[in-house]
Amino acid sequence: MTENSNPTILLVDDEEMVLNSMKSFFAIENNYNLMTYTSPLKALEDLNRNHAHVDLVISDYLMPEMDGITFLAKVKEKLPMVPRILLTGYADKENAIKAINNVGLYQYIEKPWDNEDLKLVIRNGLEKTTLLHQLEEKVREVERAQRELSEVQKDILRVFA
Amino acid sequence: MSQLIQSEKMAALGLLVAGVAHEINTPMGAIHSNNDIMTRAVAKIRKLLGPAPDKEISRLLDILGEVCRNNEIATDRIMKTVRSLKNFARLDEAERKTVNIHEGIESTLTLLQHQLRNRIRIVKQFGDIPEIECLPNQLNQVFMNVLVNAAQAIQDRGEIRVKTWTAGDAVKISISDTGIGIPTEHLSKIFDPGFTTKGVGLGTGLGLSLCYKIVQDHHGTIEVESSNQGTTFTITLPLEA
Repeated sequence: MTENSNPTILLVDDEEMVLNSMKSFFAIENNYNLMTYTSPLKALEDLNRNHAHVDLVISDYLMPEMDGITFLAKVKEKLPMVPRILLTGYADKENAIKAINNVGLYQYIEKPWDNEDLKLVIRNGLEKTTLLHQLEEKVREVERAQRELSEVQKDILRVFA
Repeated sequence: MSQLIQSEKMAALGLLVAGVAHEINTPMGAIHSNNDIMTRAVAKIRKLLGPAPDKEISRLLDILGEVCRNNEIATDRIMKTVRSLKNFARLDEAERKTVNIHEGIESTLTLLQHQLRNRIRIVKQFGDIPEIECLPNQLNQVFMNVLVNAAQAIQDRGEIRVKTWTAGDAVKISISDTGIGIPTEHLSKIFDPGFTTKGVGLGTGLGLSLCYKIVQDHHGTIEVESSNQGTTFTITLPLEA
């Protein structure tokens, strides 16, 4: 996530009305870029093809093509650092908890969801992404400094050898 | 035999109920969220209009705000009913569980609300009772049957009192109504399968016999006292079956 661009959220739910409602909510509350899909397969296809930049992924649980846990596990292979959130009806709460433990989900949100909760969970998830990116950057800096140091060390050794 | 058919019917009904609850949930979630978005939009428009908005615009925004508040009450009611339906069917809990039976009683009362509203006052005297090991969905059927009977016994206006308390190693639940009462000659037969006074098409005569069977399966008892002032059913359930 670059400093000035708005975060991008990928949203999958087989019910158009859920996608539309969330789209409207974020249009009025936050300036997130939303990528919405009614098909998890299509979403995976686009992720594989475009190397699209995504900061957070939300998926419904019960979908005809593929359940949300399988989908989010596949997303993890592609984008291991991106927080993944599961949307569930209360019938599948136990599944959701299992998934959080097994697949390492960031959070789950129950349907019917509360917009304020949704906002908070997403904000915290994005913050986590930002922190991870910053950490990654720091690690790269340290590695670069280490490389430079070892170059200098080699130079010194060459001079005295 | 009839009890077997009845419990199969209830299991099928439970599945149907859970399916319907799940099906209602998604559109309900969208409506609930959309209404929240409209409320937020109204607030934002008000802010944009500043301190002295046009009178007519202001009036229309007031109406929109009122409609949103009304929608919220309506959606909350639907969501509460759906939750109660789910809770009542408790399909996920077909095996024995340790639960607080107050939850089951509350869910059952919510589902009965349309039969009770404006006509029957519900008085809850819930004691401090421990959780018990039971089949929650079956006990809910007992509460439902007894409460429906109580509501039907009250011809005009009246009161149903639901009381819970602990007595030694058992939990007791009494459900009392201020209805017409059960004639003495019927009292010994009310738990018999097929006995009904409700007339063809109204009662199957299986409700209370099913209650008796369920309570017996829990190693408990169900007792009845009645006069022309009303009827009290007392259910006793051991803490550990």
